[in-house]
Formats: sequence, C-alpha cells, structure tokens
Amino acid sequence: MTEEPYRWLEAIGNRREYVREQLKGGSPVFAASLPDGILLLGVGTGHSKVFELFDRHAIAGLGHPADIEKIRQAAIDAAHLEAFNRAPEDVSLRRLVGFGLSPQLKTNFEQIFSAPFLVECLLAEVGAEPNQDLIARLHFDGAFQLHTKGVVVAASQSEAESAAQTWLNQTLAGKADRNGIVEALLEAWWCVTENKPFGDGLPSDAERRDGWRKAVNGRSIEVGWLVRKSNRRARYEELTPALSSL
Amino acid sequence: MSDPSPLAGDFFSLLARHHASPLRVAASPDAPVQTQATTVFAFHFADGVLMGGDRRATAGNVIVTDCVDKVLELDAMSLLAIAGVPATAFEMARVLQTSFEYYRRSQLQSLSLPAKVRALARLLRENLPMTMQGIGVVMPVFAGVDQTVSPPAPQIYFYDPLGAQFHAVGYAASGSGAGTIRSVLSFQDRYGQPRPAQMNLRQAVQFALRLLMIASEFDSATGGVNPDAHTFATIKVLRGSGVETVSAEKQAELLKS
Repeated sequence: MTEEPYRWLEAIGNRREYVREQLKGGSPVFAASLPDGILLLGVGTGHSKVFELFDRHAIAGLGHPADIEKIRQAAIDAAHLEAFNRAPEDVSLRRLVGFGLSPQLKTNFEQIFSAPFLVECLLAEVGAEPNQDLIARLHFDGAFQLHTKGVVVAASQSEAESAAQTWLNQTLAGKADRNGIVEALLEAWWCVTENKPFGDGLPSDAERRDGWRKAVNGRSIEVGWLVRKSNRRARYEELTPALSSL
Repeated sequence: MSDPSPLAGDFFSLLARHHASPLRVAASPDAPVQTQATTVFAFHFADGVLMGGDRRATAGNVIVTDCVDKVLELDAMSLLAIAGVPATAFEMARVLQTSFEYYRRSQLQSLSLPAKVRALARLLRENLPMTMQGIGVVMPVFAGVDQTVSPPAPQIYFYDPLGAQFHAVGYAASGSGAGTIRSVLSFQDRYGQPRPAQMNLRQAVQFALRLLMIASEFDSATGGVNPDAHTFATIKVLRGSGVETVSAEKQAELLKS
C-alpha cells in the first residue's frame, strides 16, 4: 500500500521520458508577433503543421499528426461553440488554453493506462494592437506559458527551444520585414534540427542560409499569417506561395 | 450509452451533442401562415450576381427601423438575402455562418455549393413548426459560387417556406415587394437594353436601386431609396473571386453617373 504513490511517480516519470523520446525528431514550429500581425511557421514532410483555428486564432504543432489533429479539432469545436453561443469576440486564447486544452492534456497525461498525447504546440491570437497579441506555448503534459510579444518557439528539446527563442528575439528585435523574418526563422529551424549551437560556434550567415535551403528540399514550408487590420472576420491567410521569392 | 458519431465537420451535429440547437420548437397545429414585409432580390449581371434588399423592418403598420441589413455575407463565397420573420432569419444566417466556417476550418476545405444550398433547406425544414404557427416563416434567396466549373460561377437559389430549393436562371426575389419587381425583372430580362445579364456594375447597381424605388411605391413595407435623404439599399456583389459590398457612398456615386 505505502509504495503505491512511488509507483505512480515512477510511471509518470517513465511516461514523460517516453513522450520526449517519441518527440525527439519533431520539426520545430515558430510564432512571431509583428506590427502587422502574427506569423506562424513550420516545415513539414507531407503533414501540415500550421492551421487556422478561428477568426483571430491559429495553431502550429509538432508531434504525432493524429495527436496534433485531436488538439486542433478540440480547439476548433470549443471556439465555434463559444462563438455561436456567445459571440466571436468572446473566443479568447487565454480561456481556450487555460480552461480547455491544458486541463484535457494534463488529465490525459496523468492517466497512465491510456496513450499520452505526443504533441508540442503554439497557439496564437492576434489582437487589435501588437501589445494585445497572445502566443501560448502548450506542452504535452498540459503545462503552458503565455507570451505577449516577440518570437516563441516550440521544439522537442527544451534547451534548443530556449536557445533558439533567445537568439531569434535578439536578432529580430525591431524588425518587421516579413520575408526577412521568415528567413531568420528558417535559419533557426535549421540550427535546431541540425543541433547547431546558438551561442559560441553559431554557424555563419552564409552557412545558415545555405543550410536551411538544402534541408528543406523534399519538405514543405508552411507559413500562416494572422493579419491585424482587415475588413474580414477571418484573419488567417496561408502565405506559402509567397515564399517563392526567398 | 455513448453519443452517436457526429458527421465530420457538421456544426449541426456539434450543436445537437451540446443540446444547443436554436431552431427546434414544438408544433402548434392551428396557427395561420403569415408572411412578412420586405423586398430582397438577386440577379445575374456581367461580373457575377448582384444581391440587394431594402433596409426597412416593420411590425404591422409600424416602421420599426430603416437601418436593417437583409443581405448577409455567410462566408467569403456566399450571400443570403432574408425575407420573413427577422428573429428566425437572422438566427438561420448565424447558424449558417458558423456552420460554413466550422466545416472549412475543421475539414480544411470549403463546403461545396450544393451542400450549402441544402444546409439552408435543412434549416427551413426544421423551422416548419414555427412556419405553421405563423410566427417564423422565412423565404430567403441564396447566392453561392460553384467552384467545380472554370472559371468559378456564382449561382442564385430561392426557397419556399418548407425548404424546397430552386435554382434561379436569371433572377430571384422574395418578400412582400417581390411581385412588383419580379415583373420588372422579367420585362428587363426579355426586352431590356441591356438585359440584366449584360449590365456592368454601374448599370446593375442603378437597376437594383430603381427596382427598390418601384417596389416601395407599391409596397408600404418596403423601404425605398431616397438619394436626397441619403437612404440607400444593402447591395452586395458576388463574383467568382468572392464578395464585395457596394457602400451607400458608392451607390450614391453610381446613381448619379
């Protein structure tokens, strides 16, 4: 009897290790709050990684496609029900993540006899002004952090994620050129996937540029754009074709 | 017992699962059918479909307001003109707006035109008890884009209160002023120079505004168009590429030219 809690703790520890191991090869995703909107980027191999959720909301995720799909569907269901029963303006990312997705993920993670969600994701909400933007970094165990500015990264390795995020926020501070930002995100994507350091030993500009261009061969770059000012309710646009100029 | 499996991307199923369907009521067998006052219409012109409507809402012989928009954008590729009881009609529009967007986002593709046409027919059928009570009759006109042809072609559909759907070849009208303008549309379609289908945007908007002026002469419940008082109609244009709203300022400018 007395050893039961320890067995549970061990089981949870094993589960965490298992999920991290499964997510290891995942391709990181990015969200950047810019003056004109929020840009989301992912590099996929057949399966989409960036999706529209609701009028001002989008998601980008890495992990098992079926689990990304479950999270995406749950968020879409919740957002549309909320918008229909109340109003579209009442759909908020803080509530969607804090009261909807996060508790579901935590419950699932702690039910040790069911399969865990193999997913790490970013959810974004574009505001009327840049300081009203919200980007949520949601983890497989339901933990989440809310960011109101800058670039947020979701990767399978927390150290690489943190290093990439710090480097991107320093590199892109004050920049608004969308193509330049996409280029920097892809450089960071290449560094994370190739285990390159972001501090000392960071590959040169030329190496990073060549690196990501070679690495995306056979993969698809997806860029989602939540435009801030628009007459349309739905603010999400796919920018992928516009990348041809890169 | 578990819930039945919902139809993928079907917002109606989602509402039913959460007991949130807004249009289901019990029937009353002996209520009369009562139509409501308005004039809405749609016709093909050279660029696509023009859909217009007056802006008056009435209750009996009382004018409630002259600022109602009866032509509604359901999504980027479909328009709904509502005639009938506003409470029910606006609720139907809201259900369809959410339903079309829900399908597009969840299934990662847009609903086809026939499916959109049937979704509205389904709502009208479900509204039968309210129609039979005489307090919820709705006779809408729908316009959507057929994406299966090249180039994508806007189409017009009209309905009876029980949900039967009809494809309109040239034009459709609904509401108490519809009889009047249907005659004008028929005349213009047969003998007009130019015919509605040959009109450019300026001609089509002018024609639409004149239709409403005529309807309001014969139907007191149709709000007219009065440029002097800056009272115009709600006019939206549906092209293969999507919806455009013709603002009151643009209508004034086009009417003058």
